[in-house]
Amino acid sequence: MAAAQIFAVIIFVAMFILIVMDKIERHIVTLGCGLLTLVVVFGICMRSGTAIWDTLAIKGFVTKDFWYQVTESESKGINWATIIFIAGMMVMVEGMAKAGFFRWLCMRIAYLVKCKTIPIFITFMVMSAVLSMFIDSITVILFLAAVTVELAQLLKFNPIPMILSEVFCANLGGSATMCGDPPNIIVGTSLGLSFFDFLTNTGLIAGICLVVSVVFFYFAFRKELVTEESGSVDMSKFPKPSEAITNKRDFAVSSVIFGLAVILLITHASTHLTVATIGLFIAVITLIANAKHIPELLKKVDYKTLLFFIGLFVVVAGLEETGILKLIADFIGKISGGNIMLMITIILWLSAIASAFVDNIPFAATMVPIIQSLSATAGVDLHTLAWALSIGTDIGGSATPIGASANVVGTSVAAKNGYPIGWGRYCSKLAPATVIVLAISTVYLFVRYL
Amino acid sequence: MAQLIISVGREFGSGGRVIAEALAKRFDIPLYDRHLITEISEKTGMTAEEVEKYNEAPKVRILSRRVNGYSNSIEDNIAEMQFDFIRKKAESGESFVVVGRCAETKLRDFKSLVSLFILGDMEAKVQRVMKVYEIDEEDAKRFIEKKDKKRKRYHNYHCSGSWGDSRIYDLTINSTRLGIDKTIDILEQYIRERMAAE
Repeated sequence: MAAAQIFAVIIFVAMFILIVMDKIERHIVTLGCGLLTLVVVFGICMRSGTAIWDTLAIKGFVTKDFWYQVTESESKGINWATIIFIAGMMVMVEGMAKAGFFRWLCMRIAYLVKCKTIPIFITFMVMSAVLSMFIDSITVILFLAAVTVELAQLLKFNPIPMILSEVFCANLGGSATMCGDPPNIIVGTSLGLSFFDFLTNTGLIAGICLVVSVVFFYFAFRKELVTEESGSVDMSKFPKPSEAITNKRDFAVSSVIFGLAVILLITHASTHLTVATIGLFIAVITLIANAKHIPELLKKVDYKTLLFFIGLFVVVAGLEETGILKLIADFIGKISGGNIMLMITIILWLSAIASAFVDNIPFAATMVPIIQSLSATAGVDLHTLAWALSIGTDIGGSATPIGASANVVGTSVAAKNGYPIGWGRYCSKLAPATVIVLAISTVYLFVRYL
Repeated sequence: MAQLIISVGREFGSGGRVIAEALAKRFDIPLYDRHLITEISEKTGMTAEEVEKYNEAPKVRILSRRVNGYSNSIEDNIAEMQFDFIRKKAESGESFVVVGRCAETKLRDFKSLVSLFILGDMEAKVQRVMKVYEIDEEDAKRFIEKKDKKRKRYHNYHCSGSWGDSRIYDLTINSTRLGIDKTIDILEQYIRERMAAE
């Protein structure tokens, strides 16, 4: 077992270093490392066909629980539910983007607040958080940041404060639901939690923190948001929201599908439909509704991210099967001396600090078995640890420009339009905001669950 | 005249930029070097100094991340804007000379591309840099090594081939052997032969 443990750790560390180095595409890195785990760790060192079979988790597809789940059940190995759900949402989002939904929504809201800078600033932050509860933050920020730059050029204000606030709120909104951020999907599907479980736990924390964040960013950026042209805004110069709609029928259909996805997600604890079923269903109806554009929509699905997930789950399974994650869990249990408060603090802040610098998806995938083991050995409520992990990984990523996908996309869109955002500029406001939100979350967890 | 794109990669101090300028004059086509900086600065509203700071500079890997083709690194974004610019120029059918910017790789699909790499002996490069920048020998040597290291990292991050590797250029030439003027003559002759052959 010692050799298997050593190889599992070496493969895992090599995977992380290669992802950070960004020389080889990350899906190739995780798939390569995943293959090494299967061959070297499970095959050569452990000689365990069962470990390989369990990790590939293919038999899960034919079980009723995978599609229709009445009782909570935990998953091991490749988390196919996560992959199918993300793929389904990718198809739906492509359909919505193609119809002009996101641009229309941004323009509509700007019009509703009469294109005034401060109201746009506040409503875009809220919209960023709300959209990110259901849609991946990359898509949300891609559209919001682009419209923000466009409005900034028309209204002559600096878009950087607005883009930074939107990025922060997208990450915050993502923490509110099971499908908002990939770590939550992994935590939720691995531990058998529902959309509603997240909404009533992390969702409440996110709601409180959103109010605090809006106030914080208002005071932090209000001087920078002064427009050159004071007084009333001539709205005739602005592009009309209806111009964003490329096809009225597609727009209506994609709006209905989005609404349906939201309803299915909110009610999935009572309908017993799993996120895998919802993802597949949403993808299928999007494709049926856009029958003429099926190849185009399927081509736009980000297969590389899906492959990245598959490889990642195999590498993490290597650590789990060899007992490495249990050793880490025992270590956390030992240093916290059985103090639950300390355990929650360690999980939340360790996750946050790690997520500020490395991809939070592999981190969350690694931490799930650790909190399971910690809960079993130290007798701590698993759900409380799950909320600490979700909040830590989702929010911690906001602290630096590389902590989360939304940050990278937001800063990139800004730079390409002539507004470069360096580390200093980014961290001066978002790092303190992250610390404030994490502090509030820590207190909330103590008060509510202990 | 049929389209002609000349890409000039160069070691610092080898006279690559001077050679590129001379070729642009001899073929009466524009030269894109500093121009690429002013173009990006005009397009984005950034100052030329800001663009210059990140121009042909490698990013700090540990502080950068790429997601779905988007990067938080300002160096990456400036580089991509320059690649887009030269690619669009090439697609428009325009003839031009471009210095650096990984053009030998980024424009390799264009039949009209003639890719060159200019190198030089260290001693000659040091003499040249001492004269141009009015610095002593030690400083000149350090300056060359620093600049070339930066160009190599920039190139090798954005391209699969290695900077200065003769296999990725049509012609690599040591400007010290025949001197700058003779090198320009040889290169002009080579380019005219290439144009005649197509």
